[in-house]
Amino acid sequence: MLEKLGDLLRRTTNKIANAIFLDKDMVDSIIKDLQRALIEADVNVLLVKELSEKIRKTAMDERIKGIEKKEHIIKLLHDELARILGEYKPLELKKTQNRIMLLGLYGAGKTTTIAKLGNYYAKRGNKAALVGLDVYRPAAPEQLKQLAERNHLNCFVDMKEKNAVNLWKSCEKQLKDYNVVVIDTAGRHTLDKELIEEIKALDREIRPTETILVMPADIGQAAKKQAQEFLQALKISGVIITRMDSTAKGGGALTACAETKAPVYFITTGEKINDIEEFNPSSFLSRLLGMGDLEALMEKIRSVTDEKKQEKMQQQIAEGKLSLEDVIEQVRSMNSLGGFEKIKSMIPGFGSAKIPDNVLESQEAKLAKWEHILKSMTREEKENPELLEKQTSRISRVAQGAGVHGSDVRSLLKQYRLLNEMVKSGSGMDMSKGLDQRQMQKLAKKFGKIKKIRF
Amino acid sequence: MFTKKSYKRAKHGKSMFKFLREKISGWAKKLSKEEAKKQEIKAETREKAGKKPRKIEVSEKKEGFFEKIKTKISKTEISEEDFNRYSDDLQNLLLENNVAYTAVEKIIWELKRRVLGREFLKDEIESEIKASLRDTIEEIIMNPFDISFKIAEKQANSKEPYIILFVGINGTGKTTTIAKVAEYLKDKRLSSVIAAADTFRAASIEQLKKHGEKLNVKIISQQYGSDPAAVGFDAISYAKKNHIPVVLIDTAGRMHTAKNLMKEIEKISNVCKPDLKLFIGESITGNDSVEQAESFNEAVGIDGIILTKADVDEKGGTAVSVSYATRRPVLFLGTGQEYRDLELFDKRKFTEKLGL
Repeated sequence: MLEKLGDLLRRTTNKIANAIFLDKDMVDSIIKDLQRALIEADVNVLLVKELSEKIRKTAMDERIKGIEKKEHIIKLLHDELARILGEYKPLELKKTQNRIMLLGLYGAGKTTTIAKLGNYYAKRGNKAALVGLDVYRPAAPEQLKQLAERNHLNCFVDMKEKNAVNLWKSCEKQLKDYNVVVIDTAGRHTLDKELIEEIKALDREIRPTETILVMPADIGQAAKKQAQEFLQALKISGVIITRMDSTAKGGGALTACAETKAPVYFITTGEKINDIEEFNPSSFLSRLLGMGDLEALMEKIRSVTDEKKQEKMQQQIAEGKLSLEDVIEQVRSMNSLGGFEKIKSMIPGFGSAKIPDNVLESQEAKLAKWEHILKSMTREEKENPELLEKQTSRISRVAQGAGVHGSDVRSLLKQYRLLNEMVKSGSGMDMSKGLDQRQMQKLAKKFGKIKKIRF
Repeated sequence: MFTKKSYKRAKHGKSMFKFLREKISGWAKKLSKEEAKKQEIKAETREKAGKKPRKIEVSEKKEGFFEKIKTKISKTEISEEDFNRYSDDLQNLLLENNVAYTAVEKIIWELKRRVLGREFLKDEIESEIKASLRDTIEEIIMNPFDISFKIAEKQANSKEPYIILFVGINGTGKTTTIAKVAEYLKDKRLSSVIAAADTFRAASIEQLKKHGEKLNVKIISQQYGSDPAAVGFDAISYAKKNHIPVVLIDTAGRMHTAKNLMKEIEKISNVCKPDLKLFIGESITGNDSVEQAESFNEAVGIDGIILTKADVDEKGGTAVSVSYATRRPVLFLGTGQEYRDLELFDKRKFTEKLGL
């Protein structure tokens, strides 16, 4: 996700930082790189021109001298990028019933996002219901129903009713008990008057607390116009950007939202139900520039692990001691976070560490083996895995019992050792309160040094 | 019954590229005006100094002094400096219209090669530059072919059905496009069978079945989560048994970065051995369109492109970007929610719409 853009931006800042002398040619080439990076990320062309002019002006400013100037430019670049990404404005739930209505183009991912959003709020202790009002696309109600069933969410759809307003009226009463109601509507583009009328009628009837526009990340220079038109025609309170995984950089969608002052509430990053996260421009930027985003990681971990287990884990981390079960538990929760690939970008320093791709992919397969290995161990061995290393005959016994190779057992032990070391050195930190900037940098340094990570 | 004539064409064509067309002619005018102005100033100074013009053609010797001046004013050469100055404007213009950065670079480079060092008549600069730009873009966009001809070709030579595989990322409109293509083939009196090989997305099979009911086309499906290649295989066997000339295979949308899913599409392609592999993209996609098209081309080797949602935005740049990235033709544009909203892509018309 976003690796290429992040790479290019990092290279640009490095180029500035390493330049001995910032002359005109140097500045020109830096600006050219920057323009290319941003335009390829679909950032609005005019915005890019504006940004590069500002940087050129600062770079050519004679009053700022030497090293100071470089820092000045890097800071300016950072600030300007933060500015075009917009402000941090999360979706705040109200005490009364929240009615969240989603709108968007065809195929932007509304229905999938609705299930994700419902699941997101349900996991955070709300009573969530999904309502499907897309009466046009074939099989839209079926899709929502299947998604809801798969994730144990309550869902209200009607396969036969062909009028969205009537459909809403018929299920409104049953929604009384829910405090979060997420509403799906038919895909549209703004030029379609009929659908706009329908939405206006729905708006009057439903009186949604939030009307959210769903936009795909790969939308190009059309993003600004789309955002503006939707804003003009309807009251949009916020935006969700989908398909932020893949090579799309979301520059078009993100900057269009910032320009039209529509806050981006969430971004979605994959096909699985947990692939949704709150959008925070400052942490997004720090992830983009390779500084990691532990806040988002912590938030994700909180949402998938249950509290009791976490408390126990925290205690063990504080004591600097982990058992093998903890290791497996952790890898499992990592997988439910969306796999190592997604977490990687959030850990400081990992973004630039070289991790072979196939290592990340085979995690899931390994996990299954590890569970069998654990079952073939005695209790003593589970609590003191060091025993296995001292008496290697135990390894072959366990391997035989679990039906795996000895190397699989060894790789589990290696993982255990690695985690244990990390825990020991980090035992002074209280993860539950999040990390401040200094701790993050310290961590980044540490991970940055581990150039080759093996599992 | 529907005739070939009734097939909807270029419904949104007029508004679609209006923006770009105006911009391009504006740009070409600006460039030619600047040149002309400069040339006049040059000529004036030459006249004052009484110097001979730099280049004299053979026939000029017989002409009088004023004739010489006149031809000199009306003939001009665009210098590299000037071109670079104005190419920035053209670059922005193309970028604003959703042409991907790499494709824009190529266009500018090509145009430069064509325009520099050539002499233009003053009045013709604008039209000449436009012509060069048109040639450049036309060279990038490939000539589309009609799939019904390809099908007829295969029918003439063998009894096997013609197999078309549809690939693309999530939410580009593969399922809708397949329904439209089935309708298009029906117009050409070709019946088809559709394989519901998207076994991942919720309700995708139901969606296709509903299309099938409306279009009276047979849908071959299995359970959700089953092997998509097997569904494709089933559909092909069904077509062979029932002598149906065309098999359309719908696949699950997948991000081109998901390696295992790209391997899955390779497998589907290997098992079904499609005659035609079509990439479905969105015409609103920006720079990512290049990477999307390239990755699918690498995985299965696509033969053609269909761009959907062409009615959403009037910018036409994505067609240039994907053609440049894959060197494959755009065959159709999806222009609406109805089954008939599938427009044959016409290269000439496309450049005409750009005002070239």
